[in-house]
Amino acid sequence: MRLVRSLLFVAASFVALSSARAQDVIKIGADLPMSGPNAEYGELFGAAANLAVEHANADKMLSKKLVIQFEDSQATPQQGVVAMNKLVSVEKVPFVLSAFTGVSKAIAPVGDRAKVVSVNGGGIGPDLAELGEYFWNVIPLVNLEIRVMAPYLVQERGFKRIALIYVDDPAGEAINKELAENVPKAGGQLVAQLQIPRNAQQFTSIAARVRGANPDLVFIASFGAQQAQIVKQLRDNGVSQQLAGYSVFSSPTVTELPEAKGALFPTQSVDWSAPGMSQRVAKDWKAKTGKDPSFFVANYYNAVMVFVTLAQALEKSGQPITGENLLKQRKATGTFDLVGGKMEFLPNGSVSMPIQINEVDGGAGKVVKAGTMAK
Amino acid sequence: METYIINLLVLISINAILAVTLNFILGYAGIFSIAHALFFGVGAYAATFAAMKLGLDFTGATAFGMLLAALISLALALPALRVRGEYFVAASLGLQMLAITVFTEWKSVTGGIGGLTNIPPARIFGFTLTQPEHYLVLSLACLLAIILIIRALVRSSFGRSLKALRDDEAAASAFGKNVSVIKTSAVVLSSALAAVAGSLYASYLSFINVESFVLETSIQLMAMVIIGGTATLFGPVVGAVLIILLPAGLSYIPHLPATEIGSIQQIIYGLAMVLLMIFRPGGLWGFQENPKAHA
Repeated sequence: MRLVRSLLFVAASFVALSSARAQDVIKIGADLPMSGPNAEYGELFGAAANLAVEHANADKMLSKKLVIQFEDSQATPQQGVVAMNKLVSVEKVPFVLSAFTGVSKAIAPVGDRAKVVSVNGGGIGPDLAELGEYFWNVIPLVNLEIRVMAPYLVQERGFKRIALIYVDDPAGEAINKELAENVPKAGGQLVAQLQIPRNAQQFTSIAARVRGANPDLVFIASFGAQQAQIVKQLRDNGVSQQLAGYSVFSSPTVTELPEAKGALFPTQSVDWSAPGMSQRVAKDWKAKTGKDPSFFVANYYNAVMVFVTLAQALEKSGQPITGENLLKQRKATGTFDLVGGKMEFLPNGSVSMPIQINEVDGGAGKVVKAGTMAK
Repeated sequence: METYIINLLVLISINAILAVTLNFILGYAGIFSIAHALFFGVGAYAATFAAMKLGLDFTGATAFGMLLAALISLALALPALRVRGEYFVAASLGLQMLAITVFTEWKSVTGGIGGLTNIPPARIFGFTLTQPEHYLVLSLACLLAIILIIRALVRSSFGRSLKALRDDEAAASAFGKNVSVIKTSAVVLSSALAAVAGSLYASYLSFINVESFVLETSIQLMAMVIIGGTATLFGPVVGAVLIILLPAGLSYIPHLPATEIGSIQQIIYGLAMVLLMIFRPGGLWGFQENPKAHA
């Protein structure tokens, strides 16, 4: 009994200490995978968000110091909900960074009930735009990418016959649907729609079917190590046509593959050399990590900066920084000046940003068409 | 703070239901199944289907889930009649993998990888559960009811038959026990009761997808049973409390980077299992219920 009392006392002390500290800072949350097989994403997203916090504090953009409370979602829905509940009801944060579709969908109802904003900067499935008013996306969803990519491939590059290999997940299905709609609209033809399971590793028969369809271009809608295997096996099995993919094609596992050289892929448009915020982020990111920033860095940096912009406006008008007020302020704010240029929220909480087309060149990719807005 | 603790308690209750029902076949009947997450999933998807498409309330939807889980469990019970020990583990592994494929591919019912969102809150006797505390009461009531059902079964002649099978199947058979019927009934009962947890989970989270019903979930449930104590009534509950609270507790340790919590948690799980097997093979609760056995 004494042990239980002591433990309760220690727990209460921690809570009291943390709430005392909470009054001196403005706190936002991050429900990211910090352990397990997806921890590398959590670390990357978290580092980008921390850089934004560093910049906001250095520039004294808010009245108090901004801090991020990180919680480990382990990229699983149950753990994500536990972490979200802690952020919402213990840490009392008004704004939470999220990643991974399963976790995002599981925490959205918690955020909705508590009127706490959750922001995704990593998942691109269009179903993420349907998670309620308090769930926002600062990354253009995949349907917008395809609406820019399809006319470019067909009309500007003359790839009239397109074969699609797509993975069986919401993003893959959305790409299939968008290409089926937008390729004929642009004057092309989708000559094969080949679905593959998420864990498939052998694509010899897929390559045979692609050859049989005789396309001008093969569009690969997969992710992770699987997309690199598809590229390699297509080339090994005599598919020599032009390759294309969507934004996850920017992963080094693909871009560093000799077989992928020349492949085309869209990403949101980020000109890291643009003076101001973009240049500053690129310079500081390189100094910290020794690497060039990716668009994931831009997204999680932007997610925090969206909060800072809204919180600044609320502080100016003397309103408390709550999830409800952040939502109201977002609706009242037209565009946000962020990394990559101007960003505008659509009524469903997702964003519209310029999308550029890149070509795999063995490095970070070469821009072959400057950013344009999806129609 | 209150909501956070309530949320943890709801998840503990749901996981405790799963652990207690797994313990019923693993601890009392010696059937080592690593397909328990499958019945959790069947309960969740079936109850969601019943609630969203058929408009049933929580009791109706849960009953539908239980019925479906019981029927599907026959697929697990059938190999259980023919094989035992490690062969049964392999058979249940196959079924678990098959279930993951079905959960992923049967998109019209399960929503595929993307899962099902906007699951309506549970409605019971005309009352809609909107607050976490409502779910706490419901999940604790379900847990208590299931513990009482299992307690009654274990203390009955059926329970004694289960233990006889676990200790020596050939001897039990020689004494006239109908091995097939006893094993099948145990698996069917355990699976049907596990479906209750699925129904609770789906309505509480308002979202389900295949990621919650994978092999790792089955293994975690087995860890709850082993850490808590196999063949004990409250051991699996203790295991569920520990395994759910461990990551939450670790996140409160000051100066411990969030990036390390997951790996420390895995090390603690592993160490706990090894130490328990050495010093308390009956699990943490093992001595509480079987003092004579360890004398």
